[in-house]
Amino acid sequence: MAFSVVMPALEMAQETGKLIAWRKKEGDRVTKGEPLLEIETDKAVMEVEATADGILAGITGIVGSDIPVGQTIAWIVSPGEKPPVEKDAGASAPAARGKTESHAVPVAASAPAPTAAAGAKISPKARRLAKELGVDVASVRGSGPGGEILASDVQTAAAPTAAASTVASAKSANVEVPSTLGRLMAERTTQSWTTVPHFFVTRDIDATALNAYREKLLAEIERTDGIRITHTDLLVALTSRVLLKHPQLNSSFTTPGIRLHDHVNMGVAIAVNDGVVAAVIPNAHTASLAEIAKQRRDIADRARAGKLRPADIADATFTISNLGMYHVDHFTAIITPPQAAILAVGSIADRVVAVEGKPAIRPMMTLTLSSDHRVADGARAAMFLNDLAEALREPQNSLR
Amino acid sequence: MPERELTFAQAVREALAEEMRRDSRVCIIGEDVAEAGTPFKVLSGLVEEFGAKRVVDTPISEAGFTGVAVGAAMTGLRPVVDIMFGDFITLTMDQMVNQAAKAHYMSGGHWKVPMVMRTTLGATRRSAAQHSQSLHAWFSHVPGLKVVLPSTPFDAKGLLKTAIRDENPVIFFEDKMMYKLKGPVPEDDYTIPLGVADVKRSGDDITLVATSSMVQVALGAAILLEREGISAEVVDPRTTWPLDEKTLIDSAKKTSRVIVLDEGYGRYGVTAELAAVIAEGAFYDLDAPVKRMGAMHVPIPFSPPLEDATVPTEQTVFEAARAMCKPS
Repeated sequence: MAFSVVMPALEMAQETGKLIAWRKKEGDRVTKGEPLLEIETDKAVMEVEATADGILAGITGIVGSDIPVGQTIAWIVSPGEKPPVEKDAGASAPAARGKTESHAVPVAASAPAPTAAAGAKISPKARRLAKELGVDVASVRGSGPGGEILASDVQTAAAPTAAASTVASAKSANVEVPSTLGRLMAERTTQSWTTVPHFFVTRDIDATALNAYREKLLAEIERTDGIRITHTDLLVALTSRVLLKHPQLNSSFTTPGIRLHDHVNMGVAIAVNDGVVAAVIPNAHTASLAEIAKQRRDIADRARAGKLRPADIADATFTISNLGMYHVDHFTAIITPPQAAILAVGSIADRVVAVEGKPAIRPMMTLTLSSDHRVADGARAAMFLNDLAEALREPQNSLR
Repeated sequence: MPERELTFAQAVREALAEEMRRDSRVCIIGEDVAEAGTPFKVLSGLVEEFGAKRVVDTPISEAGFTGVAVGAAMTGLRPVVDIMFGDFITLTMDQMVNQAAKAHYMSGGHWKVPMVMRTTLGATRRSAAQHSQSLHAWFSHVPGLKVVLPSTPFDAKGLLKTAIRDENPVIFFEDKMMYKLKGPVPEDDYTIPLGVADVKRSGDDITLVATSSMVQVALGAAILLEREGISAEVVDPRTTWPLDEKTLIDSAKKTSRVIVLDEGYGRYGVTAELAAVIAEGAFYDLDAPVKRMGAMHVPIPFSPPLEDATVPTEQTVFEAARAMCKPS
C-alpha cells in the first residue's frame, strides 16, 4: 500500500514549511525512521523521517519552495507499485493556501523533471562533497562513464552562476558554501547587528566563592544525580534567579511594546560543527542545579548530534554564551532578537587584583552584558550586573 | 654531474659487490651462481673477485641450500640466496615461512636471520607455466618477512643494499624481463629505506599504483594517456611489506581514481591488498571504484600470443584508465 509523505507541522502556528532538500531520490528504497527530507521553518532546519518502509515515488515537492502544512509531497510505495494520483497537485504552485479540488493532474506531469535518472549512481567523493556543499544530488546530472555523478558534477552544481562557465575544471576548493545552519547564523546575526542598538557593560568578578561552591556541590550532586555540574550550570541557575528582579533584561522587544516575562527560559549558546545554536532550558529560574545540569548536557549532546527539535531552541527569554573553555578573557556577544540581552562569559583565570589595598591573586572572571538600548539603559544593565556579582559572591543565598 | 647509466642486472651486481667488499660476512649461495653467473648473467665476475668460498654453487636443492642459509644467517653470516626462478620458492617455503620468518620472534629477539633471498618474477619470456609466475604475494602474506620489488636500476641498487643490511629476512624480487633496462645509477654508496613509496610520475586525473616491471608499463601508459589529455600519476610502493600506505592514500585522494597494477595473479593478490588499503583510506575521496589489473587467472601459457594476453600491457592499462576518466 502507498503511504503519503506530507509537509509536517512542527510548530503550533506553522502554516508552511520550506523544503530544503530530499535526502532520498525518486526510486530509492527507504526504511521507516530514516531521514527522508529536510525542511526549514522560521526557527530551525529539521530532518523529517520516513514513516514507512518502501520505495520513494511520485515526488511533487520542489526543493526550495514553501509548501502548505499537510500537503502531500511524495509517496512511499511497495516495490513495483505506482504512486496514487493526487487530486490536488498544488505542490508546484508556491503558496497555494486555498486548495482547489477541481483539476486532476497526473503525478508524472506535475513532478519536477528529474535530471538525474532514478537510482543514478554517485561516487563516494561526490556524495561527501554534495553534503558539504549543500548540493541536492537529485538535481545533478552525472558525467561518469556510466552516468555516475562525480565530484566535478557536484562542484559545478555548487558553483554559484558559474555553471555556464567554460572553465569546468576550475576547482572551488577555497570557496566554502555555508551549511543551512551557517546561512541561518549569518542572516540572524546580520539582522540583529544592523537593527538592534547594542551596548555593552563589563564587570570583573571574583570567582573564589563560585569555585568553592561548585567544589562543595560537585561530588554531592554527582552522587545523587549522576551528573557533574559545570560553571555554566551555576551561571544559568544564578543568572535566571537574578533576572527575576530585572524584567527589562528578561523581555522581548515586539512591535506592540516590550513584553516583560515572569519566567526565565535560559538560552545556552552551544558551538556545533558549522556554527552556533542556542538551546533552551525552560523555567531555569525554578529548576534545581541538578535539573539544569541534566538538561544542559542533554541539549548540548543533541545539538552536537544535530538532533535538536524546534522546541529545544524556541522561546528563550535570555541567553548565556560561555567561551571560558576556549580561554577567552572577555568578549561581546550579539543579541538574539526578540530577546533584550545576552551575557558573555570569559574564562576564570588567576589575576592580580587589589584586595584591601594590597595586590592579591584571585580567580577572576569577566562578564559582559550586551543589551538592547530600546529596552534597557546603562544604569539598568549595571544594576543587573551588580546583583549578579552579589549572587556570585554568595551563591548559596540564591540557590538554597 | 651526468650520472652513469647501468642496466638493472649491473645495478644488482654492483650492490652485491659493494656490500661484499664492505662486509666479509656477505656471501652468495645458489644454483649456477659462480662461473655461470646465473642464466641471466646477473652475477658475472663475482666469483672471480670473491672466490668460491663466498660465491657458493649448489646442487639443485632449493630447500636444502635455503635451510643452510637460514642457519648461516643465525650463526653470523649474511647470506644472499639465489633462487633462479621465482616459481621455485615453493620448495623453500618451510625454511622461509616457518623458520626464517619466525626465529627472531620465537627466540624473544635472541636470534636474528639477516639473510636476503633474491629471486625472479615476470612473464613474457616464453618460459612456460613453471618459469613465469610472479608469486611475491605469498611471502607478503607472512609476518616476519619483508618483500622488495624494485622497478628501476636506481631502486634495485639502493634497495638491495638496505635488504642486505637488514637484520632479518628480506625477499628481493627482480623481474627477469627488466635485467636489460637501463637507467641512471650513482657510483656512491646509497641506500633506500624499505617501506617508502616513490611517486615515479606526478599527475592529477588518475593514480596508477604499480609494482616491479608494471611501473614501466604504467609509465608507458601515462604517456599514451597524456596524449588524450589525461594526467596520470604513477606510484611505486617499492616494498609490499613494509607498505607505505600513506603515499598510496594521499595520491588516491589527490586524483580520486586509482588502478592498481601488479604482475601476480589478481585473485587474492597484491592488487587486492593495495586496493583495500586505498578503499579504506580514501573512500570518501574516490570518484570511481579502485580497479585491479594483474595476471590472468590461468597457468602462464607458453604460446607467445597467449602469454602476452595474460598480463597487463601499456595498451590495456591505457584503455582501462581512459575508460575510467572519460566522460560518458
